[in-house]
Amino acid sequence: MTTTRIATTVLLAAVVLGGTPLHAQFNLGKLRETVDQAKAAAAKAKEAADSAAKIAKGVAGIGVEEEYVIGDSVAVEVVSRHGGVVRDEAIQRRVNLIGKALAYYSSRPGIDWRFGVLASDSVNAFSAPGGFVFITRGLYELVDDNDNDDALAAVLAHEIAHITERHALKIIERGELLSGAGDFAQRSSDLRRTDAELRQFDLSVEEIISTLFEKGFDPQTEYAADLKGRELAVTTGYAPGALRKVLTRLQQRSGDPKAVFSTHPPLAERIRRLPADG
Amino acid sequence: MKTSVLLICTVTALSAATALAAFTRGGNAYTKRVETVLRAEPRSLSETVARLGYARTVRIEEVRGPWLRVRDGDQSGWVFGGNLAEEPPSETRGLDGLPLEASKTTATAAARPLTPAAKDYAERKGATNAEADLEWLGAQSTAVTPEDVQAFLEAEKKGEFQ
Repeated sequence: MTTTRIATTVLLAAVVLGGTPLHAQFNLGKLRETVDQAKAAAAKAKEAADSAAKIAKGVAGIGVEEEYVIGDSVAVEVVSRHGGVVRDEAIQRRVNLIGKALAYYSSRPGIDWRFGVLASDSVNAFSAPGGFVFITRGLYELVDDNDNDDALAAVLAHEIAHITERHALKIIERGELLSGAGDFAQRSSDLRRTDAELRQFDLSVEEIISTLFEKGFDPQTEYAADLKGRELAVTTGYAPGALRKVLTRLQQRSGDPKAVFSTHPPLAERIRRLPADG
Repeated sequence: MKTSVLLICTVTALSAATALAAFTRGGNAYTKRVETVLRAEPRSLSETVARLGYARTVRIEEVRGPWLRVRDGDQSGWVFGGNLAEEPPSETRGLDGLPLEASKTTATAAARPLTPAAKDYAERKGATNAEADLEWLGAQSTAVTPEDVQAFLEAEKKGEFQ
């Protein structure tokens, strides 16, 4: 359904309301407000539906604007499930300075990079398409060395690599989800199609969330992010051995259920696959 | 003392060279910013000898630690390897005609609000607190400007300031 059609439908509904008092029917300001709201709602629905439609086609490549739509929604879920963000400007500034310094030398320096510390004592880090990188307070405290930023940079660089390599988007591009919803969308009327595509959009977000929180990326993807992230950190000037130190530190805490990246492959194997010189 | 300094420099150069192993003499690399500066010497404050546009293919003529001497037609000079990409960047263009990703590398980039679809998603999922948190975080992140990042890199002796 086009923006114009949705706006027209709401406009007609506003005019035709039989039980509406006369003074309300001719309240031009109110009517304009209603139309504006309808247009805004239609624009939102269209944006989500367009993105979902593109996803449904099994996209050759999701563009950066679609990536922001998906990534922002994934970020909503990440923050929602981890107690919000730490409202400490100094901490968030430090994470953003180091993160943006790394991102500047990444293969995608131009996207909207945003780095944040989540108010959770679990030990983990996440990324969402479009440039969102999150580290939990538990992991932030574990890598918070007094004398340098190497360990924190190593963690952020690993998550940046997931975004530059488009790992989460590849789950969608590979068509690993939503075939049933896609068929439903193709058969439906315009209005139902919008509903179906919104549902499909939600499912796309949930699939990425499921990968981030439950299944995890496949081990090869994590090893690739380790190498790519390490390369980025070293290029930026951080210590080559920092990721190995972080993983070893996590390994030493492995008796604690909160201590490891629960959605990542075994730490020993990740350490073994790192280059010998760091 | 001199030996120690030299040793540290060598180790730093070797580390950076390891990280930039994908760039080899005779190979190609690609510019990834709206403007990439080529310099007369492999140093961050050396004289500018050329400025290249977005997504240019350059030939690597020499590798010296993390610095590369590259050529694009009759333009040649030194560039820090981190300023180039191994693969051609996306060419998707925005309404302003600039590549969507590259245009955001300029210092004038404004804060991007959450997309309307994501706000709608947050409302449908009852996650409006998360939405508010992300808007706050967006403001914190935008407060760290490209100039701040350059000043940080220089002060911390990172990137091309190593």
